[in-house]
Amino acid sequence: MTCNCVDAPVPPLFGVQTLFAAQHTSESCGANGLPLTPNSITILGRAQKLRTLNHPNLVLHLDFIRKQHGRIILVSQYFKRSLWTETNNYLLLLPLEKVLSWTHRVLDALTYLNSNGVVHRFLTPQYILFDDEDNVKLFNYGLYYMTNSGKNITFPIGKLKYTAPEVLVLDRDSYKSGPKTDSWSLGIIVLELLLGAQLWPTLKLSQIIRKILSLTHCTDVVMRLAREMGRLTMYQSLPDELKDFLGKCICMDVKKRLCPKELFHHKIFSAYEYSKILMNKCYSCKHPLRQMKLDQVYYLWKLAGGDVEWALKKKGLLRNESPILLLPRLIILEGTLYGNTRNQSSLLDLQIVELPLDLLVNRLQHLKITDYDPLIDQVNKQNDTTEKLPLVIREKDTEYQFRRIILFDRLLAAFPFKLDKLLIEAKKDIPPFFRGEVWACLLNVCGDTESIYMSIDKETAGVTDRQIEVDIPRCHQYNDLLSSSVAHKKLKRVLKAWLVSHPKYVYWQGLDSLCAPFVYLNFCKEHVSYACLTAFVKKYLNDVFLKDNAAVIREYLIKLSHLIAFHDPQLANHLDEKGFIPDLFAIPWFLTMFSHVFPLHKIFHLWDKLLLGDSSYPLFVGLSILTQLRSTLLNSGFNECILLFSDLPEVDIEKCVLESSKFNDATPRSITFRKYELRTETREYDPCLMYEVLQNEFSPRISIYDLVELKSSSLKFLVLDTRPQEFYIEKSIPGSLNIHVREEDLVDENFDLAPCPELSALVNNRGSILIVVDNVFELNKVRSFCRFLVKKEYPKVCSLHGGIEALENFNILVPAIMY
Amino acid sequence: MANRAVPQRPNGQTPGKICQFKLVLLGESSVGKSSLVLRFVKGQFHEYQESTIGAAFLTQTIHLNDVAVKFEIWDTAGQERYHSLAPMYYRGAQAAIVVYDITNQDTFERAKNWVKELQRQATPGIVIALAGNKLDLNTMRSVQTDESQTYAYENGLMFMETSAKTSANVTEIFKAIAEKLPKNENTNTAGQGRRLVDSAEGSNKSLSSCCK
Ligand SMILES: Nc1nc2c(ncn2[C@@H]2O[C@H](COP(=O)(O)OP(=O)(O)O)[C@@H](O)[C@H]2O)c(=O)[nH]1
Ligand SMILES: [Mg+2]
Repeated sequence: MTCNCVDAPVPPLFGVQTLFAAQHTSESCGANGLPLTPNSITILGRAQKLRTLNHPNLVLHLDFIRKQHGRIILVSQYFKRSLWTETNNYLLLLPLEKVLSWTHRVLDALTYLNSNGVVHRFLTPQYILFDDEDNVKLFNYGLYYMTNSGKNITFPIGKLKYTAPEVLVLDRDSYKSGPKTDSWSLGIIVLELLLGAQLWPTLKLSQIIRKILSLTHCTDVVMRLAREMGRLTMYQSLPDELKDFLGKCICMDVKKRLCPKELFHHKIFSAYEYSKILMNKCYSCKHPLRQMKLDQVYYLWKLAGGDVEWALKKKGLLRNESPILLLPRLIILEGTLYGNTRNQSSLLDLQIVELPLDLLVNRLQHLKITDYDPLIDQVNKQNDTTEKLPLVIREKDTEYQFRRIILFDRLLAAFPFKLDKLLIEAKKDIPPFFRGEVWACLLNVCGDTESIYMSIDKETAGVTDRQIEVDIPRCHQYNDLLSSSVAHKKLKRVLKAWLVSHPKYVYWQGLDSLCAPFVYLNFCKEHVSYACLTAFVKKYLNDVFLKDNAAVIREYLIKLSHLIAFHDPQLANHLDEKGFIPDLFAIPWFLTMFSHVFPLHKIFHLWDKLLLGDSSYPLFVGLSILTQLRSTLLNSGFNECILLFSDLPEVDIEKCVLESSKFNDATPRSITFRKYELRTETREYDPCLMYEVLQNEFSPRISIYDLVELKSSSLKFLVLDTRPQEFYIEKSIPGSLNIHVREEDLVDENFDLAPCPELSALVNNRGSILIVVDNVFELNKVRSFCRFLVKKEYPKVCSLHGGIEALENFNILVPAIMY
Repeated sequence: MANRAVPQRPNGQTPGKICQFKLVLLGESSVGKSSLVLRFVKGQFHEYQESTIGAAFLTQTIHLNDVAVKFEIWDTAGQERYHSLAPMYYRGAQAAIVVYDITNQDTFERAKNWVKELQRQATPGIVIALAGNKLDLNTMRSVQTDESQTYAYENGLMFMETSAKTSANVTEIFKAIAEKLPKNENTNTAGQGRRLVDSAEGSNKSLSSCCK
């Protein structure tokens, strides 16, 4: 048992390395006419997979950073102790059991890597590390994989002495090293370990190459190597099984050499009881940060001001050459550059720089041990003043994010239990660290999405492939990750999977944008991206991607018009007068839920809230964007209005979501009722209208259910009964106001209400929801009267769907005398 | 912003004639419609130009002798599915540029369909220009100049090969259209509130009224 203590020191946990990707020679372009993707981006895309690898004998990859001129910075878990330091550069002869135990662990890790399509290719004693408890941790295993078998870099990978012979003779561009190259390297390492000596310690590179190649002619390679090391007798005294093992590793014929998986099951490992070796358990006090997941610690370290680049600079690893030295000497007209090649030796620096965690430890110093392991239900009982700060500040606040991460980590683990709590917390804000996972929960993604996704055919060519192919290279390409070829493939697969599994729907341009945030956030979990997209479309974009979606889109857009009239009559009048209809600007808004309109960081904040709302919420977002621009719009003619949206000015997303929530809260549900939205049931008096009807109305309708509910809600409302007085007296809604108007009067453009007590009451109630009611056959009159009220800039005008007749069934109507 | 500039007048001179024309760009997606407009209006080119959903609207004014010609440009979505929206944009247009990609034969076929549709359904007398874009990718060409030239001639279209990337022939094609458009009446005020007509109204407007 170790104890936790906030005063315990925290050693560096992360190591940083840096390298350069190969540069494309000239400004060449690919088959699609687009410039070639920089290798550094390709690497970045491939590298993401490494972050998902998790094995007790592998260090974790935490971050890949892309910098200018093709520089890549790698951040991973790191330990100072390695096989090299532990054996005091092989001077120390270790017990056989220990060597075997380590070897077995390395083989286990290699087998895991191989099963994930990764080959180490850089196995050296320096990259076999040990953690505090003496567990083997392989390091630097991702280099070969992320550079696409070394294709994206110009320097060789591997330490020559440990490199398998076939790697030296075969063409680097066409030959991909398989798992067996690692068997060779491991064999050499184990041999050195067992014999307590280094192979060829003083030879130059060229000599080593000659040595390795000369092994071709020898019958017993291992024996030859032992002789070279001057330890032949020692080798000969090794147990036969061990010699057999070494022979299966260090074997010139790749076919006969065993791969790590086979070596793992070699009989040598059952012959010795090494598992009982006492691990060097660490009993000292540990800082609770070390119980946290490493990627969380790294994230917080960065928030606390940790700067990877700075750490490298401090150690002199980011030597910047003076710009003049980087100028090419010759540029020929078609664009090829000569003479600006980088110094070969700077392409990969093998030095590993440790990242001290002091910054983070200091920042969290005053936290108690219980803060690291709180009871979920008691979290946030204390008043956190940070909660009231703007979102962008909260997202940068180390301590606040620390608490959020601790909390959400638990809530996510509990999902789908504690969903209510998750919703409450997500309403405050969603910690960026967990955004992908929280979104998946909010979209109710659960079950075995992985095998569902796996079973979908994403490869067979489809009719929209060309369209998808031309759209993807234009989709959020300012983002490094999304511009990588791996991302392009993922986007394409997810889109195709969605199309295949939804035969009713087709690919509409814009679907790519919609998919991008999910792919970005679940980069290594395509199936989650797919499940999120599926759930998202179902909830917010039901039937929008039908081949013929005109009716769905038109209804959506007209509902936006209604909503503008409802909340901002002045703006509605202006836009109507200018003929500036939502069809001209809002199609990309709703078709892509704003993902085609805003850059990723804005989409994140917008969707953080959108996902908490119902299927009408996007309409309120649209409304609040318009109201944010209202003063410009009100002063603009048609052309200016259109131009404003062709080049959307900065929209303050935080303000936008705040406003849209307010609009949402102030709007009865039936106002935004859409025939095409996905719902479980439609009730008899819900306003389920044809487009042809909607089109003729300027203001929305409200349902009786909402009218009934309004009575018990905090929203203020007033019913305007436009029937002749006698009918009103006979039977009407209690509390309603009788303003009798005639249809023919309303036709007159200058129509106005004559002063009367009712008019004063109306004026005094400006701002309340105004519900116009008449007989159901007086539809035109009701419409005109609503239009009149909006012209007079009364907000929240709507009409009662079904008219007075519908109320008969609700036992609401009473003779006016009675109140 | 350049695209919002009030039509400029040749300095010092008496205000010249200002004409406004509605121009629409049509063509398969990714042939470079948006890029052509961006080059024409802002002098820019983006390798990763975002796809257009629905349509985008921009304006630009050019000067021909003493006439300022203001183009109100509708850049449309290329995907076939968005086809149903297209009439909303080309109705009432006095000019159209139908764009294809010289490296892709299919886009040329699609351009022909657009021309047919315009000749059948757009404003009679609409000036149509055919633009073979991506001229800079000449080495990957799959539509030969002769072929398009002949087609354009037979169908009474203006024709140019352009490159939004290098800006070859971009201003030229707009200029050529401007020259061909009738500029009858004289007016000093730029049009305000020109609506998109989505009904029969305006679709048969005679071209002579384009100058207000
Ligand atoms: N090489 C080259 N690429 C172009 C040219 N015009 C457009 N592109 C590229 O083609 C792609 C599609 O362009 P875009 O303007 O969006 O086409 P649209 O869908 O027709 O509007 C983008 O990646 C552009 O960078 C050109 O003249 N030359
Ligand atoms: Mg476009």
